[in-house]
Amino acid sequence: MNSNAFWHFMTLQLFKEKSKHISVVLLSITILFLLSSILFISSSIRFSLMQTLEQQPDFVINKLQGGRAIATPLDWSDELYDIYGVSKITPRVYGRYFFKEKEKSFLIIGVDFMEEQSHKSLEKVINSTDIKAFLEKNQMMVGEGVKRYLKENYYENSYKFLTPKGEFKSVSIFKTLAKQTDLIANDMIIMPIDLARQILGYSQDEVSDITFNVPNPDEWTLMSDKLQALHYDLRVVNKNEVKKSYENLYNYKGGVFLILFLIVLITFSLILYQRYSMVYSSEKRQIGLLRALGWSINDVLKLKFTETTILIMISYTIGISLAYLFVFVFNAPLLKELFLGGENLKNQLEFIPMVDFSILTSIFLLYALPFIASVIIPVWKIAVTDPKEAML
Amino acid sequence: MIKIENLSKSFYNENSETEILKNINLNIKKGELVILKGVSGSGKTTLLSLIAGLDKPSSGKILIDQEPLSKLPDFFASKVRAKKIGIIFQHFNLFEHLSVEENVILPLIPSGLKMKEIEEKAKIAMNLANISHKKALKASHLSGGEKQRTAIARALVANPDIILCDEPTANLDRENSLGFIETIKELHTMNKTIVIATHDPLFENLEFTNRIIPMVDGQIV
Repeated sequence: MNSNAFWHFMTLQLFKEKSKHISVVLLSITILFLLSSILFISSSIRFSLMQTLEQQPDFVINKLQGGRAIATPLDWSDELYDIYGVSKITPRVYGRYFFKEKEKSFLIIGVDFMEEQSHKSLEKVINSTDIKAFLEKNQMMVGEGVKRYLKENYYENSYKFLTPKGEFKSVSIFKTLAKQTDLIANDMIIMPIDLARQILGYSQDEVSDITFNVPNPDEWTLMSDKLQALHYDLRVVNKNEVKKSYENLYNYKGGVFLILFLIVLITFSLILYQRYSMVYSSEKRQIGLLRALGWSINDVLKLKFTETTILIMISYTIGISLAYLFVFVFNAPLLKELFLGGENLKNQLEFIPMVDFSILTSIFLLYALPFIASVIIPVWKIAVTDPKEAML
Repeated sequence: MIKIENLSKSFYNENSETEILKNINLNIKKGELVILKGVSGSGKTTLLSLIAGLDKPSSGKILIDQEPLSKLPDFFASKVRAKKIGIIFQHFNLFEHLSVEENVILPLIPSGLKMKEIEEKAKIAMNLANISHKKALKASHLSGGEKQRTAIARALVANPDIILCDEPTANLDRENSLGFIETIKELHTMNKTIVIATHDPLFENLEFTNRIIPMVDGQIV
């Protein structure tokens, strides 16, 4: 078949029967847009989490009682200094502070600014902060979500925390934390460790947990065992375990959406199959006529295959581009709430543009193969019948 | 040119067999103009479809230039149909969303010719069928006579040796029917082999017809 004449006719068919194709293209774009948006969000969140986790200390230990975490003795950190290969030991004081009226909570993190920090992004925050000015009075650094929430509730520059002793502690906002760590820092408040102790009700010899690094990852398993042997009520968690729990959470959400997508895709394929099968009589007549005019079965299949491929490419390009704009430019309104929903403070997370080509290929195959099959199989069934029968 | 031997065609329903064509034997020479005449249901359209290779016989064979069309693999049968046979259908069977010219070029799309050559051939065919002046018009906007002329141009575009016409004047008024007969006469002078299945009395006394073959109940009488 001469390609010029063939392309000429195929373009004619596509343009002159555009009303026939437009519904399929629109439906395809919608499905591709939704699927790509979900996968873009999911991969962007995973990327953000991995970036954030990179900043986290390698190990966290705390004390358990009856299966729940309680205040950890500060002197456990002295025992850690005796273990070879451990560095950047940081006792932390943190906890949730409930904002009763609205049933929201902030995560207060108390930091000993005089100590070396095992948390890399905390180290960055401290390095970029005028510590002297920060420690002059009761001050805090807050996440975007906290800042916004306090502002909405008329606490522009400071907030009065209620201590377990029933006293109010007024703390001024010193600065807002950087946005790229938003996923975790959104509801976070960083303040001096002693101030955090007063607000959260810890004594001077207690902390929430102790973090530290073990630079040699080969030692991690052994280190966990060693620590476990120190105290029967000590719980140890390493970075990989945290990473797995985050991945599971977002993979689970992505998985639910993928199942929904597969249901939609199957429905879409059935609609297409129905459309191109015997039900669609004008298509059948056209194929029969082309065969009567001397087109072979292969010629007809080539025409329909190319026509379908062009529709797929158009829908795919538009669907993916719209999803990219929706997620990375408009920050996925609505869908973001579904993904990050159930959060304490509304997240203003901005998705970091992250295009994984294996995901794009998967989307293409997931969409294109059922589409082509649901068009070509009925067309082939018509093309192999006698032209007279097809034209009836 | 066309040789038909012991040709039969039956249709099968749940429990019954209906014989549409019964043991047809026929020879049509190159350049002959043959009229298959008979009432509705006599089997003339079925015979035409079998000659065109649009349907398969139940038994017997049809040879087009010694080639058994119904027994050839699809690829070769399509080639024979595209090169040697032009069909004019009763209901014209045009692609309504395409223009006259676009309809006319359809049989040549798979031919391997360049678009320029195809357009050249379409021009000749449209001139022969006297429809060139409407070449840009959509088929859906044509009158019955114009549709018929478009269908003729499409049948002629590949310059086939055989033209098969199925009730070509059934949907035309008298004036257009006479116009069609004039075109057929011209094609006859070009040495085309023409087979027309019709029950239109206009075809009964044409002086340029070589043979009139009457058909009754699926048989040549």
